[in-house]
Amino acid sequence: MTAAGRRNTWLVARREFTERTKSRAFLFSTLLLAGLAVVVALIPLGVRLADKATISRVAVTSTEPGLAVTAMGTMDSFLNAQTSAGTKGTKVFDFVEFPDEATAARAVRDGLLVAAMTIDRGGDGGLGFTVFNIGGLGADKAQLLQVGAFAVGVLDWTKSNPGATRPFVTPSFSVVDAGSSSAGVPGKPAFDAADYASRRIVGIVFVVLSFLTLVFYGLWVASGVVAEKSSRVMELLISAASVQQLVVGKILGIGLAGLTQVSLVLLPAIATMLASGRIGDALLGPDSGTGATLSALSPGLLAAFLVYFVLGFALYAALYAAAGSLLSREEDLQTVALPLSIPAVAGYFPAVLALSGSTSGLIRFASYVPLWSPFVMMSRLAVGRVEPWELVVSIGLLVLTVPLVTLAAIRVYRAGVVMYGQPPSPRTFWRAIRGG
Amino acid sequence: MALVVDHLQKRFGSVVALDGLTFEVAPGQVFGFLGANGAGKTTTMRITMGVLEADSGSVTWQGTESHRLPRSTFGYLPEERGLYPRMRVLDQLLFFAGLHGVPPDRARREALAWLRRFRAEDLIGRRAEQLSKGNQQKIQFVAAVLHEPPVLLMDEPFTGLDPVNVALLREAFLELRDRGRTVVFSTHQMEVAEALCESVAIVDRGRMVVGGPLREVRRSTGRRMVRISVADDHRLPWLAKVPGASVIQAGMDRTTVELEPGLEPDEVLAAAVGAGARVLHFEVADPSLEQVFIDHVGRPADEEIHLAPLAEGAA
Repeated sequence: MTAAGRRNTWLVARREFTERTKSRAFLFSTLLLAGLAVVVALIPLGVRLADKATISRVAVTSTEPGLAVTAMGTMDSFLNAQTSAGTKGTKVFDFVEFPDEATAARAVRDGLLVAAMTIDRGGDGGLGFTVFNIGGLGADKAQLLQVGAFAVGVLDWTKSNPGATRPFVTPSFSVVDAGSSSAGVPGKPAFDAADYASRRIVGIVFVVLSFLTLVFYGLWVASGVVAEKSSRVMELLISAASVQQLVVGKILGIGLAGLTQVSLVLLPAIATMLASGRIGDALLGPDSGTGATLSALSPGLLAAFLVYFVLGFALYAALYAAAGSLLSREEDLQTVALPLSIPAVAGYFPAVLALSGSTSGLIRFASYVPLWSPFVMMSRLAVGRVEPWELVVSIGLLVLTVPLVTLAAIRVYRAGVVMYGQPPSPRTFWRAIRGG
Repeated sequence: MALVVDHLQKRFGSVVALDGLTFEVAPGQVFGFLGANGAGKTTTMRITMGVLEADSGSVTWQGTESHRLPRSTFGYLPEERGLYPRMRVLDQLLFFAGLHGVPPDRARREALAWLRRFRAEDLIGRRAEQLSKGNQQKIQFVAAVLHEPPVLLMDEPFTGLDPVNVALLREAFLELRDRGRTVVFSTHQMEVAEALCESVAIVDRGRMVVGGPLREVRRSTGRRMVRISVADDHRLPWLAKVPGASVIQAGMDRTTVELEPGLEPDEVLAAAVGAGARVLHFEVADPSLEQVFIDHVGRPADEEIHLAPLAEGAA
C-alpha cells in the first residue's frame, strides 16, 4: 500500500472510530454491558455467601460399627460450633447416619442430601473419607468437611491408641463430584470441582462475549456501509478514496472501537473479580475456593481471546462489509441480519458443547474452521487441554483466511458500489466481481 | 490538452444510456453539459469518476484515461447529494480534503474562506443533518474544490439553490475558471448555461446532438431573429404586413421575431419606422439556447421524458 493509501485508510479508520465512540449508543451500551459484567463477576461471591448461609445435609456411613456416630458427633461440635460464632448460631451441616453407602448415594442423587460421606479404615489403621456429591457441595464446604475429617482422625487416633504403638496417619480425604463430566471416567483424574466450575464460567463468558461482539460489531460494519449508500455520501467517498482504503479503513476503525468497548466492559469486571476475592476473604475468612474463579482466567487465555477477537472480527467484518455493500437501504439490513448471523450461530453450538469438556471429532474440526474457531477454540482453551499444534493450526488457518476473505469482500464491495442505482441482477454482479 | 469523451457506450439492461457519446472540453473553460433528465449526463460523469464502468469508449484528460489519473485530478459534485448526517460540517470538509492529501490546517483555512464567500461560516459547527438542502449543497461544493482539482465535474450544481446562491455559485465558477480550472457542469436550465459557458454540448438519449462554442451552437439551427422593443404598442400590429416575419416570443418589453430566409433584419426595422412606431431597442439576435435545444431535441429540456425505464432510472 502506498503512503497515500495508508493515509486514507487511517483517515477512514479514524473517522469510523470517532463516529462510533462518540455516539450515544456506544456510551449507553458500554455502561450497560460493563454493569452486567460486574454483576456477573460478583456471582461467585454471592454463591459463596448463599452457600455459607444454608445448612447442608450430609449422610455419614461407615463400615466400622459406631465410627459413623462418633465422627458425626465430632464434626457436629467441631464444624457447627466453629462457624456458629460468625453466623449467629446457624448450623452449617446437618449430619445424618445412613446404614450403607448405596442408600446414601441414592439419597444424594434424589436431591435429599447434599453429599454422602463414607468412612473406611485403611490397613494402617488410618481413616479414609470419601465425599460423594453431584455438584452440590461448594469448595468452601468441602474444605470444612476436610477440616472436620482431620479432627475425627486425630480423636480416633488418641482414643484408640493412648500410647504410641500406632503412628498417626493423616486421614485421606477425597471428593467425588458426579456433576463434573470427567468424574467416573476410569483412569482419568477428576477435575478439581471448583477449578472445573471456574473454567466453565470463564469459558461461557468468552464464548458469549466472542459471539456477541463479532456479530454485533459485524453489524456495525454492515450498517455503516449501508448508511453510506443510503445517505448517498458513497459517491463522494469513492471519488476520493479507493474501495480497498474504504473497506480496510472501515474494518480497522470499527474493530478498534469494538476493542475499546470490550476493554471498557472487561476491565471493571476483572477488577471486580479480583476485589471480590478479597471481599470474600474478609467476610468469610481466607479460602482458596473463590480464588479458583480467577484461576482459570489466565493471562494466556486473555491473550488468546485478544488474538481470536482481532482475527475473528476481521473475518466477520469483511463478510458484513461485503453484504452491506449489496444493500441500498437501511431497512434491507433488518431482513439480512438474521441470515448473516447463521455462520456465527453455527459455530456457537459446538462452542457450547465444547464447554462440557467434550473433545469429539466435530468439536475438534469446528475449532479449526476459521469462521468458528474464534468461539470453539476459545471454549476448548477455557475448559480443557488443547495441544499446541492444534492452536497453531487454528490460528494459522484464520490468519490465512482473513486476507483472502478481505480481498473477496473488496471485490464484492466494488461491484456492489459500481452497481450504483442499478437493480442488482446476479449476472451483472458476477461480472463486476470478476472484472474487479 | 482537453477532457475528451470518446464514443462512450453504456447500457443498463435493455436501456441504452450512452450511445457513442463524444465531445471535447477545452482546458480552462466553463463547459455546459446540457440535456433533459435521462439524457446520459450523470452516467457520463460517473464513468469519468470511475463510479461506473463504460461498456466501451473512454474519457481522457490530457491524454490519460480518467480512471488511471489520481482521484484528486477531479473535484466531483455528485447528482445524488450526500454527506455524513451526524458529522459536523468542518469535520466532513477536513475529512474529504484529507483523503485528497490536503493537510488539515490548509484545509481548514480554505474551507473557512469558501464558507465565508458562500455566507455560510455559521454552519461550520453544525451537523449535516441540521442543514437545509441548499446549504448541504454548498458544503458539498466546497468539499469538491478544497483540494484544488484541475477539473471540476458538477452534476446539476444549480438545482435546488435560491437565486442568491445561484449567483454566488456562478461567481465561484467564473473565479475557478480564471484560476485556470476546467469546469464542467450539467444542467437542464438553459439560461444558466447561456450566462456562464464558453462551450456547451447538448445531449439526448445518450447521443451528442450539437456541441461547440456557445455562439456556434446558437447559430447551429440556421434560424435568424431580431429582438425589438417599441414604445406604447407592444403588440406590433405593423409586423403582419412584413412577409416572412413571425413572432416566436411575444413580450411586454421585447419581442423576438423570426425571419424566414430572404427577409433581412433591416426590412423589419424599416417596416416599424414606416408604421410610425417609436423603436426603443432593435437587435439582430441568435436564437436562445432554449430554442436551440427545442429545435434539436424536439422538446424543452425540463420536460420530463417518459421513456420506459429511464436510462438513469434509479438515480
